[in-house]
Amino acid sequence: MTTELEEPQPEFAEIACQSCGAKLRMEEHLRSTVCPFCASPSIVNREPEPNRPRPKFVVGFVLDHEHAANQVQRWISKSHIFARSDFKRAVPELTRGVYLPAYLYSAVAQSQYSAEIGENYTEVQTYTTTDSKGRTVTRTRTVTKTEWRSLQGNHASYIADVVVTASRGITNDALQSVEPYDLRALRRYADGYIAGWTAEEPSRTADECFQLAHDESITAVGQKLASFMPGDSHRNVHYETQLSREVIDLVLLPVWSYAVRYAPDRPPLQILVNGQTGLVGGKVPVSATKVTAAVVAVLVVIGIIVLLVVASQ
Amino acid sequence: MSTPAPIETVCGRCESPLESGDLRCAICGQAAPESDDAAPKNVGITILRCKGCGAAISYDPKHRAPACSFCGDVVEEEYVADPMEQTEHFLPFTVSRDEASAALRTWLGSQGWFAPSDLSSSAKLAELKPLWWVAWVFDADAFVSWTADSNAGSRRSSWAPHSGQNRLQFDNILVSASRGLTYAEAAAMSGRFDLSTRQPQPSGADDAAIIEQFDVQRSQARMQVLGAIDQLAAQRVQAQFIPGTNFRNTKVSTLLQRLVTDRYALPAYVLAYRYKDQLYRVVICGQDARVVLGKSPKSPWKILAVVLMVIAILLIILAVISSL
Repeated sequence: MTTELEEPQPEFAEIACQSCGAKLRMEEHLRSTVCPFCASPSIVNREPEPNRPRPKFVVGFVLDHEHAANQVQRWISKSHIFARSDFKRAVPELTRGVYLPAYLYSAVAQSQYSAEIGENYTEVQTYTTTDSKGRTVTRTRTVTKTEWRSLQGNHASYIADVVVTASRGITNDALQSVEPYDLRALRRYADGYIAGWTAEEPSRTADECFQLAHDESITAVGQKLASFMPGDSHRNVHYETQLSREVIDLVLLPVWSYAVRYAPDRPPLQILVNGQTGLVGGKVPVSATKVTAAVVAVLVVIGIIVLLVVASQ
Repeated sequence: MSTPAPIETVCGRCESPLESGDLRCAICGQAAPESDDAAPKNVGITILRCKGCGAAISYDPKHRAPACSFCGDVVEEEYVADPMEQTEHFLPFTVSRDEASAALRTWLGSQGWFAPSDLSSSAKLAELKPLWWVAWVFDADAFVSWTADSNAGSRRSSWAPHSGQNRLQFDNILVSASRGLTYAEAAAMSGRFDLSTRQPQPSGADDAAIIEQFDVQRSQARMQVLGAIDQLAAQRVQAQFIPGTNFRNTKVSTLLQRLVTDRYALPAYVLAYRYKDQLYRVVICGQDARVVLGKSPKSPWKILAVVLMVIAILLIILAVISSL
């Protein structure tokens, strides 16, 4: 199975606006559209398929267009000092506010782990040194040492609230950069939540999304185990996890998607805004000039210090 | 209208009961079975129309609901299913007012040598109020994975790591939700109630009784109960399964099944007595008058006398030692 992102040829479906009767061409991967003639929002409910189930849940938009644009502007202007200057000046163009298809996954995770646990103890050491008058003296000091003990065991827990993208347009990493969504605001899907908004149908296969969810769950188990370890410290945590009793449900999540064009020779940058919490995610383009300048500056300072030291000897 | 499909009220994965309005199981996260609209919706193109003016409506983030942009009508899709917790069961008072004030007298008389000698005779009952305080009572099966450091098997360090997995059963565990009682007061009364006497209405007290209400929402309540379960699980594995006698870093991961939570209002008397212009608060369990919790005054003269005695004895010892 290939997972590379080949741009799929958009397929169109022809529908008739239920309000004015106009013929509308609508992309196959969309679930909703707005008639350009009478502005009536239409929602297309297709026959469910294994790779295109009916959405079970939806999280509604909370952030409107204006607030989202403000969040992005603030995020761009506050990006770190190595960001390209033209990026900091760039004005984001709104691509769209979209209900992104995602899968909500939960399972029982059973893990076997092994780790080395560090238990600290203190020891009184005797050592010799010279005091201020140049005499050799014997002194004692208390030092903390770590004894490493191996530990094996089993760990079981529920893994809930794992969310993975089901849209080819947005990678799972990009979605993770605007997570978490507050799932307490989860609602059972109803057409009313997406009326007048763009909503996508899943464009990744269910198998692919299952794999993404597995990977995310294994990472989540690793984080749980890290805080599960006793001792003063731990290292070499290895674990193997079996996921069982898995459940996966399609959920539509609100996302504002922006494109930032900051240089004519670069592809536009995708910035996502969580349509519920306003969290902004995206990769800030690093300015090669600024990084080079910083490296050169540091080298020059080191050079001067070395020169001074050499000259003084 | 078609008859609604029977609503399955137990989670298929962890077998905990689901409550009405739950979209997902609060314990394991599995989606609740759909009740009435489980059948696939009509396939085709739909358009939503305003019931007021007939215009097409779209979702409005301001209202978090579909709204008509012409007449401003908002369509409620679904109410927010996070209601305030409501008391389901009341336990009746089996201790009467008189028995409660008698219990106070007995208790005042048993406050030990440091209590003022006239405490029992000159303390005056200032107030006695029956109170129904609120608590969750839960049953659950838990599969607990744990790790901890203990002194068992330790070598150079005084700690050694241990791990294990055990099944625990929780029956009728009480978690206080009361604002009126302290944690310690509620904890001391737990286990002193007869839950089989539960009734849908309060009884056994006069009209002056205060009936406390739950003041948290369901989602918050579940977090409190789950937090209490983790704490209790840690205490139990420490007491039963972890080898050794000293513990630290006890960590638990609980896999809960069949978590059943009931919301109770439990009877207690809150008393205030006055001794030398000072008010003292006492709480007495409404179903067991032997459970009395509160503070009592200490006699400053008696404490002073003891301190002086101790100093005198020390001085004598010193004098004896120095004369040897």
